[in-house]
Amino acid sequence: MLPAMPPRQPVLDPAAAYPRINALRTALDSGDWPECRSVLDAAEPVERTELTMIAFGETGLETFLRGVLTGDPGDGAAGALLGQHLIGAAWRIRTAARSEQVSRERLAAFTEGLEVAERLLVDAAARSPHDPAIWTARLITARGLRLGRSEARRRYDRLAAIDPHHLPGQWQFLQQLCPKSGGVWALAHTFAGETAAAAPPGSFDPVLVAEAHLEHWLEEHGRSAAAGRRYLSAGPVRDELNEAADRSVRHPAFRRTHGWVRVTSTFAMAFALLDDRPAAAALFTALGDLGSDRPWDYLGDPGPTIVKYRKRAGGGGT
Amino acid sequence: MRRLEVDGLPAVLAPVSGPTHAGLVFRVGTADEPLARRGITRLVERLVTNGRGGLVGPEHTYFHVQGSAAAITEYLAGVCEALRDPPTQRLAAARERAGRAERDPLPMWRHGARGFGAASYPEWALPGLTEDDLREWITRYFTRENAALWVAGDEVPEGLALDLPSGERRPAPAAATTLPVTPAFFPGETPGVVAWDTVVRRGPHAAVFANVLERRMLDELGGTGRARTEYVIRCDGTARIAAVAEVPPDQQEAALGGLVDVLAAVRAGRIDPDEVAAVVKLTCTGLRESESRGARLPGQAFSLLAGREVQSLEEALAEVRAVTVADVAVVASEAYDSGLLMTPPGGTAGWAGYAAAPAMSETVLAGRTHRGRGNRTIRLISGDEGVSVTGPDVVASVGWESCVAMLAWPDGARHLIGEDAVVARIEPSLFRGADRVVREADARVPQRLRIEMPPRDRDRIPRPEPAPRTGAGRLYATLTVSGLFVLFFVAGAVWALIRLLTGLGDTREDALALAGSLAFGAFCARYCWIAARDLGSLRKGPHHG
Repeated sequence: MLPAMPPRQPVLDPAAAYPRINALRTALDSGDWPECRSVLDAAEPVERTELTMIAFGETGLETFLRGVLTGDPGDGAAGALLGQHLIGAAWRIRTAARSEQVSRERLAAFTEGLEVAERLLVDAAARSPHDPAIWTARLITARGLRLGRSEARRRYDRLAAIDPHHLPGQWQFLQQLCPKSGGVWALAHTFAGETAAAAPPGSFDPVLVAEAHLEHWLEEHGRSAAAGRRYLSAGPVRDELNEAADRSVRHPAFRRTHGWVRVTSTFAMAFALLDDRPAAAALFTALGDLGSDRPWDYLGDPGPTIVKYRKRAGGGGT
Repeated sequence: MRRLEVDGLPAVLAPVSGPTHAGLVFRVGTADEPLARRGITRLVERLVTNGRGGLVGPEHTYFHVQGSAAAITEYLAGVCEALRDPPTQRLAAARERAGRAERDPLPMWRHGARGFGAASYPEWALPGLTEDDLREWITRYFTRENAALWVAGDEVPEGLALDLPSGERRPAPAAATTLPVTPAFFPGETPGVVAWDTVVRRGPHAAVFANVLERRMLDELGGTGRARTEYVIRCDGTARIAAVAEVPPDQQEAALGGLVDVLAAVRAGRIDPDEVAAVVKLTCTGLRESESRGARLPGQAFSLLAGREVQSLEEALAEVRAVTVADVAVVASEAYDSGLLMTPPGGTAGWAGYAAAPAMSETVLAGRTHRGRGNRTIRLISGDEGVSVTGPDVVASVGWESCVAMLAWPDGARHLIGEDAVVARIEPSLFRGADRVVREADARVPQRLRIEMPPRDRDRIPRPEPAPRTGAGRLYATLTVSGLFVLFFVAGAVWALIRLLTGLGDTREDALALAGSLAFGAFCARYCWIAARDLGSLRKGPHHG
């Protein structure tokens, strides 16, 4: 007889849910730019931006992408990919620690790296002003370089004028509005609420409400599980989370397009933390074997953490 | 339009639809003024016109009048007479009227404290300018050979006589630059204001570009603020294009980002053909309208003074109409490359690829060192080459040879201003034995560069400050060590006290131990207290140096 198997960990690699990621990775690795473009050009705007963000975690792409840009400086896709790649390289210098825990030398190298990325993106935005992937990347640099809230707002407005429901950019702007980036909670919750309210039924945008509450929970109550549960299960917060889920993951019009795993996973985490087990279980079931790093990494190693909460909720997966 | 000569002056005459007007132009302006004479052209202008019709620009000064032939003749004759024999009894009143002008900081950062850069400075020299200074200035610049006339009307007014002293043509000063690298940036001082300027080859392309830029800036601001651009031609064949955006202070970062993006877009050649067409059309309309009012005549008189051919309306229109999108793109790229950006206060544009404009000297001059009083981190150095003032991460050096002005206060302070706009502040209150440097400066800096300043209020005279506080780490260490000592001595004192009260040991020895413990404890407690206080103030807010 086989020993009892530990519960299977969810597959966290986004490529499992979105096959285009592997297609793009392969094309990038083999230096096949026409193939990269054909993958990106076939994608919807949000999917395309998410795809460009894989360059954040890849290494050794700079020479290839700079070569592409030398050939065609106006190639927005190459600009966005290289921008993300340079941002990723800078962020790895900085590490994910909070800014007060990072050494001065590291912060200086991080800033320098981000400036290289930003200069490239200034030019990319000048040449392709209607590319949402470039504006999304510029929201990251605006935050990392502390260019100010009004500048981030300007960049977000430019993005929203192109695509008012661009979740990757909305998430970046939400981070800007959180106190850790110099914002205030009221701004973050208002932005999340307004964006959610303006979104069509079944869209991803309402997940911002959950993101904002999870950020708030982590920052103010993350150290004590009981206090965290009290914050998230307080009447108004619970109502907002339920309303947001009803307009998004729990709406019949919700589609499993690029990004659905993270949206579902985020709602699952919020309901799991406020101890609404049936709600969390339903979402875990919807996810099946899939999962996402963010925002579970706020709780530690995402894989085992998801397994723990999924088990507690009593649903989904095996 | 006709070209003619009036009393030996080159002149242009053109009929106009509106009232007759005329102007007398001299090739002199603020760019000719050494810093130690800053304001002298305006003072001459005020003295001569009694406040009516004069205007001083960077390279030209003109006297302008509108009215009947008799009124024009009378006004211009009056100007000439006043220039021949300045009404110096009006000097005090003219000085009063000169008042304060709004100053643009960009020229100083681009050109330093000389030539075109002088316009950024206050008119410090004004109160000290003498009759002799004025006469000298007039003799040099306000002469027949250095003047031109325009008349907007059918004929030169009958009886117009321009009796000016003879002299020589004064070519416009060359534009020096202190920027080692462009595009560059510097932080401004006014919240909510972002500005940019550049120097390009003059011509209709550049003029059209300036207007296209203004439209793009307004578009980018989208109603959150105001923006305008200015196109000013220079005698050396270049033109300055300046752009300013004003927004509420909480929007200043966005205004900077917006301007950076607009400049990057035009540099990348993203110029809208419709916008160029619209600007060309408006420019042509403007030219025609200016022609009918005689508003192109001053510019034509400037051309006469520079020895250039005067352009007819048709020629000017044809040039503007010929401007293409590609022409504007070429100007945009040239303009971007030599750009100077003023960020909001405390801002930076390094992230956008702009180099920091130098705000201090690169080298410390050799010489005798005077240490700071109280603050050991500041030094005043005086030697054969000049004076340096240094502090933590700051160097201000002004060579005796490159000093363009010295501000002298009755309290002994001397500020040496270098041609690169760096200021070496000799403050006797801050440095040991600085009187000797003051005497050296008084001896080395020529009298003509010296500007006497009015006495300063007591609180404007800098006072010695202790060196900047040490970092939190060291304070924590001090606090811990001295805190432990305090505990140790307090424990010792308590022990001695118990022994004293219970009469267990030697009373004298214990009293001595108690006194000693209390004394050392108090000594350590003081250190402890200072460290704790400094830590507290470190935490309260960022330290301003």
